[in-house]
Amino acid sequence: MGNYCIPQQMKVERIGTEDPTRTLRTYDLSFVNDSDREAFKYLPGQFCELSIPGKGESPFGIASSPTEEGFLRFTVNRTGSVTNEIHYLRNGDTIGMRGPLGNWYPVDDLKGMNVLIVGGGFAFTTLRSLLIYLMDAREDYRDITVIYGARNPDLFIYKDEIALWKQRDDIRMHLTIDKPVDGWNEKTGFVPTVVEEVAPDPENTMAIVCGPPVMIKYTLPVLTKLGFSDERIYTSLERRMKCGIGKCGRCNIGSKYICIDGPVFSMAELKNIPETV
Amino acid sequence: MNMVRLDKQKFSNFILELSAEYTVFAPGKVGGKTEFVPIRSEDEIDFKTLVTDMSPKGIFFPSSEVLYEYDKQGIRVPEKEIGKPIAVWGMRGCDSRSLLMLNKVFGSAIQMPEDEKFQDPYWKEKYDSSLIFGSACNTPLSTCFCNWFGGGPHSREGMDVFVVDAGDSFLMEPVTGKGSNFLRELTCFADSTEKDEAVAKKLASDAESSMAAPMEVTDLGERLNDLFEEAVWEEISAKCINCGACTFSCPTCHCYDIQDEGKGSRGKRIRVWDSCMFPIFTMEASGHNPRALSSQRVRQRVMHKYSYFPEKYGEFLCTGCGRCVTACPVNLDIREVLKTINAYNKQGITNG
Ligand SMILES: Cc1cc2nc3c(=O)[nH]c(=O)nc-3n(C[C@H](O)[C@H](O)[C@H](O)COP(=O)(O)OP(=O)(O)OC[C@H]3O[C@@H](n4cnc5c(N)ncnc54)[C@H](O)[C@@H]3O)c2cc1C
Ligand code: SF4
Ligand code: SF4
Ligand code: FES
Repeated sequence: MGNYCIPQQMKVERIGTEDPTRTLRTYDLSFVNDSDREAFKYLPGQFCELSIPGKGESPFGIASSPTEEGFLRFTVNRTGSVTNEIHYLRNGDTIGMRGPLGNWYPVDDLKGMNVLIVGGGFAFTTLRSLLIYLMDAREDYRDITVIYGARNPDLFIYKDEIALWKQRDDIRMHLTIDKPVDGWNEKTGFVPTVVEEVAPDPENTMAIVCGPPVMIKYTLPVLTKLGFSDERIYTSLERRMKCGIGKCGRCNIGSKYICIDGPVFSMAELKNIPETV
Repeated sequence: MNMVRLDKQKFSNFILELSAEYTVFAPGKVGGKTEFVPIRSEDEIDFKTLVTDMSPKGIFFPSSEVLYEYDKQGIRVPEKEIGKPIAVWGMRGCDSRSLLMLNKVFGSAIQMPEDEKFQDPYWKEKYDSSLIFGSACNTPLSTCFCNWFGGGPHSREGMDVFVVDAGDSFLMEPVTGKGSNFLRELTCFADSTEKDEAVAKKLASDAESSMAAPMEVTDLGERLNDLFEEAVWEEISAKCINCGACTFSCPTCHCYDIQDEGKGSRGKRIRVWDSCMFPIFTMEASGHNPRALSSQRVRQRVMHKYSYFPEKYGEFLCTGCGRCVTACPVNLDIREVLKTINAYNKQGITNG
């Protein structure tokens, strides 16, 4: 039988730096074994455990879209032992990976609907995956609105792509930073406030929210106030993880394990669970 | 197949025959503590202890287990140390039930029951081929409360063969096909008589009636959900020192950590028992900890056992073995906790 503990071997193909302090780096990985590549099927919102022998494993959202062939993308914030070690990797190095894990954004339910994507900070990873996925079958969806906030202009990830998305007339991009700075001519203010200001029409719209806990906490009520029903709001949650498959017992909120019942939940599912954000 | 009788004089023969096919575990003493140990002969078995200090979960889910070894060449899952499948002698009804519960977690995932990716190969390799000889309790302890959760001193759930100690003989009753196949192969048994069966019945009813009446638990899960935000958790957890003795001794607690041990490019990835009682269990890299308070962690332990697990699997994640009651250095008795919850609910919610 298979063994979920054993990581697949991946090769680092490309490393990008997302911010001036180099805390955020993006890694494009390819499969060392063809059989692993063929077996790997994923959808936007899923994550993988990246594995460094001697250091351990950490979960990361998949930032590439299944419609992009040839690589898997992860953006890694350097913060502790595993993420430090990942930042030492160079092109051509190998790294272990387990996945895909968890569930995904409700991509089938989005068909024929308007989509509102709300993101904050470096949690934009799986939202990028979703956005690319939607853009690659653009005619299947109606209006796409993105509200993306970061503390300051340096902390947006995927800046080159954002510039391209802004030029398109089939995505409405709203960028915001916490406090005004010179040369910034987009929005300022926290994400929930900007969501309220932009006031997307809830009619036939699905909202997908991913970001730091405080952002999620204050954005969800705004969406409710704007008229989004609980079934039309989805969010992706995080908890400390180990196994990634609902056995080691640590990533639960209420009776749900984020790693296997999530990380994507609708507001309707979260309604009766205390302590979610 | 009916009940058979094994005269105790023939017990050492039986252990020999069992050992020929299986690695046999039975209650034994290790440094003053009782736990399940591999045995080769009758004299190594502790027949007296009713509830061992450590639960038998470690036979199938060791406190530390190598997942794989790694070096520059790659990754290797270690060869099985024990070539033979595992048989356990002397497992109490609470403990054999706990294995069924653990099997729900490790055997598959309820979300994806057919998907091999969610089955734990380390557990399955040991558990699926095992043969469990249960052991009826004739004199339950004051800490036993298996009867709260559908168990009982002569419960057969989770056993392959049910065994009653009837003084000068063991009466054995196959519970599963695996159990009866094994018994059929052996020659050391005699058919049981009507008298044997009457003895077993009497022992069962005596044991059952010696236990205190159970607390009503049917709506425990709902009550707990209602009380999640209540201050009662601070009262309940006030004396807990978060040592984790309760979770380590518990036969159903299955939380684990994964750690790497090694130097440079050589080493091993192991899994070790972990405890929801420790603050680091949920501590995230950012410093954020969703269960930073002791009261939140005690609540998690209670909620997991009596609300979350039942919601997913339709049964409590507690066998009423009482180990956590005995092990706790500050006498935090889980039965008292549940009674407090029951009482609190009645005043605070139902009448309020
Ligand atoms: C579903 C999910 C998706 C994520 N996606 C991303 C992403 O795309 N990019 C990114 O930079 N970070 C992401 N994170 C957070 C990331 O997993 C942690 O920052 C990382 O585990 C820290 O590991 P460390 O070893 O460097 O830190 P340490 O503090 O040394 O952590 C030790 C171990 O604890 C666990 N752990 C600690 N913090 C977390 C945490 N917040 N979440 C889960 N496990 C943790 C890990 O097993 C880790 O190896 C995600 C987390 C989850 C749960
Ligand atoms: S919670 Fe206590 S009584 Fe229940 S199974 Fe665990 S150790 Fe036994
Ligand atoms: S054994 Fe007692 S003191 Fe220790 S963590 Fe459990 S309840 Fe708390
Ligand atoms: S990470 Fe182990 S249960 Fe979710």
